[in-house]
Amino acid sequence: MNDWQRKSPLDWEKYVNKMVKVAAIEKHEYEGWVLTVDPVSASVVLATFLENEKVSISVVLGHAVQEVEILKEGDDEMKQRLSCIFAPEESKAYSPEELEKRKNDLKTWLETNHIPVTEQGESGRTLCVVGVLTIDPPYGPEECSSSNEIILSRVQGLIQGYLERQQ
Amino acid sequence: MPVPVPVGVLRLPRGPEGSSRGFSPTSPRFQALLGEPVAAQGVRATLRERYLRGLGAARGRPTRFCLRAGVCVEAVFGAADVGAMAFQVDALRTPLGVQAAALLRCTDVLAYSFLLD
Repeated sequence: MNDWQRKSPLDWEKYVNKMVKVAAIEKHEYEGWVLTVDPVSASVVLATFLENEKVSISVVLGHAVQEVEILKEGDDEMKQRLSCIFAPEESKAYSPEELEKRKNDLKTWLETNHIPVTEQGESGRTLCVVGVLTIDPPYGPEECSSSNEIILSRVQGLIQGYLERQQ
Repeated sequence: MPVPVPVGVLRLPRGPEGSSRGFSPTSPRFQALLGEPVAAQGVRATLRERYLRGLGAARGRPTRFCLRAGVCVEAVFGAADVGAMAFQVDALRTPLGVQAAALLRCTDVLAYSFLLD
């Protein structure tokens, strides 16, 4: 393992949304805006904006990284631009009222089906099922997270069915 | 009735260290399992999510892989495994012809790049 792979996620985060120059083994060099650093392989994902509005993505694998030098800080506009690159296309913006309604509808439905559910997080925006599964806004099957995969797949199936019946 | 012939069990060798599947106690995945500050865990999750979305975006795109010793090959990106051991690619263009499907070992790959519209 090299020095770069040994860094912690908090160290890697300092490079995100910044223009960097990555020196790799065999004298390769890569420049671009850091989108993310994979915490498993320490691979650096770089984005460069080309003239024809296309984005070139380069991934330098962690084992090949020798040095990363920050060239430029990113402003808010650049951060916004970078965060949009990999955002899922179907993601839809919900207003706070819509989110509140979706949450309450789902909570009521879960309770009528005798599934214990509580609210947690800031202003109770996260639903918590049986204390082991959380559902974040906008409360679809994709927003469920749990370390228990059996419960996860059951609840995702339930929510999927619930949403399909609503339509 | 024919007597079944016992078949030898093929055991695959362990993957190289550093980018192993998380069972090695020194691997980053195992270290993460041992527990770390909650803040680090949140950051880890955010970084990993973006990386996985990036892999999703790469799927099906013509990708250029830079390998060791200055070798560059082109292929259509398929998938990567969870522990970053190998990339699956389609239509790998090699000097000997086009391979319909292939696995590229991550330790051989230095970098890869692709275009997003």
